[in-house]
Amino acid sequence: MGTILDLHSHSESSEDSRAPVEAYLNWIRLRRDERPVDGIVLTEHRKFDRDADYRELEDRFGLVVMRASEVETDYGHMLVFGVNGELLHRFDFANVHLNAQELIDAAAQSGAVVVPCHPGRPTIGLWEHYRHREPLRNVVAVEVLNGGSRKGEELQSRELAETHGYRMVGGSDSHLVSLIGLCATRFEADIRTMEELVRELRDGRYDAIDFRPGRRSPQRSHTASDV
Amino acid sequence: MVTRAPAKTFETVVIGEMLGPHAIVITREQARNYALACGMSTPRFMSDEDARREEGLPAMLTPGNMTLGILAKLVTDWLGSGSGQLARIGTTFRSFVHPGVELTLHGFVTHTDQAARSADLDVWMENEDGERLVVGTATVAFGPAE
Amino acid sequence: MSSDEYDSFESGRFEPQEGRQAESGSEQAPERFDPSLLGKLFDLTEPVTVTAQMIRDYCAAIGEDNPAYNEPSPDDQLLTAPPSFAVLLKRSEKIYRCMPRYDEAFAAGQDLEYLAPIREGDRITLASSMRETYEKTGRSGKMSFVVLRSTLTNQRGETVAHIDHRFVYRS
Repeated sequence: MGTILDLHSHSESSEDSRAPVEAYLNWIRLRRDERPVDGIVLTEHRKFDRDADYRELEDRFGLVVMRASEVETDYGHMLVFGVNGELLHRFDFANVHLNAQELIDAAAQSGAVVVPCHPGRPTIGLWEHYRHREPLRNVVAVEVLNGGSRKGEELQSRELAETHGYRMVGGSDSHLVSLIGLCATRFEADIRTMEELVRELRDGRYDAIDFRPGRRSPQRSHTASDV
Repeated sequence: MVTRAPAKTFETVVIGEMLGPHAIVITREQARNYALACGMSTPRFMSDEDARREEGLPAMLTPGNMTLGILAKLVTDWLGSGSGQLARIGTTFRSFVHPGVELTLHGFVTHTDQAARSADLDVWMENEDGERLVVGTATVAFGPAE
Repeated sequence: MSSDEYDSFESGRFEPQEGRQAESGSEQAPERFDPSLLGKLFDLTEPVTVTAQMIRDYCAAIGEDNPAYNEPSPDDQLLTAPPSFAVLLKRSEKIYRCMPRYDEAFAAGQDLEYLAPIREGDRITLASSMRETYEKTGRSGKMSFVVLRSTLTNQRGETVAHIDHRFVYRS
């Protein structure tokens, strides 16, 4: 079994995307043979949609839809899974200068987990900050596959993950309907809830998986036949 | 001149349908002529030499709104001369588009609305490395059924 | 569309006003905005008359060869402009002179809502307001965004288009 999730996507709730969640799910259904993901995580920019409810869409499409956030910190952009009242109270998600270490620690203490995204990207990726600052403590994973990467950025991301022993995830970072699910993360465990996702990101077994044309991960055929 | 596609009707629009890919190269002359047609005689749109000397840029640029125009044309060419009209297009200029570079235009129908008789599309322009330089979405409306 | 994606931009094409010096030392453009500008409707421009030559030049420039925009309508012998023609009518708007450091702004994107055809002989009036400002960080560092909305009206008082222009200041 196992679960394949696109851990990084932006719906029309993010200011720079016009993609409706329903259109994302419909697109996955249409392209299931080439992007066999079981669900998506909406990581809206600098906010958390506490009250959004996608249960009807989940049932209709048979896909998981979870809510998370992409925030901006002094070490670059980071995905926050398991956003909770404590984090929202303590941090202003709209602040583009959040303290990354404080966020990581507060997340760990409150049942959430922080995953730096596109770490190989200039300015907003971990790699550049690590060149002249102390590495962050308690990072468990980074995003090594990102659908918006430029040439060379993913190599940099992977190198950083290997150097520091971080586990690796993937996400499409889609802002357009047709780009959803092109990068994802394959978990060995079955995941249906955010609690399970946080637990697996911290302690489980998983790997980044690439469904982009011409760049498919070697595991793909195996995974596709499993789903 | 290209052969014009038959007029698109709402009934024949399918989610997942692809526009392009079309390979294009915007020439320096086209970019300059567009800028002049818009009254923008800024050095960066005039020549590589002007862009380098006056603005310290590596090469001259294609105006952002020209790339919007080219993506709008991808959609209107696909619509043909039927009742379908471009109702909205929004683009984000992610990166410099230098004239002379090989570009590919892409589009997909992503949503249809039976009640409004409209469709939404993704459109983008990418370079040879597959990097999306300009991305956007568009809505086309077909008007009331005959 | 991601904020992460901005490497570089077409620079804004604003001519500095005479005698105006580029301001320096400001870190965050929106902090320099007069808050009363937000939502304020700026004066209407003098109408721009759309000529056949403007439409032809525009079609030639973007390689538009569709007969619908290149050949006059059999009904009235007038040309109809391609929808994207609307984005180039914003030049004379006074709103740009109210943007701080406007000569340093870069065009980050445009959103065009096209409501009625613009045709040869139309006289188009523009009205603009400053809609929104916000901040984010991207490949090229911290960025402050300003969104201006222009509404285009023809000589019959019909709204022909709304255009949101997104500009970014990098610090």
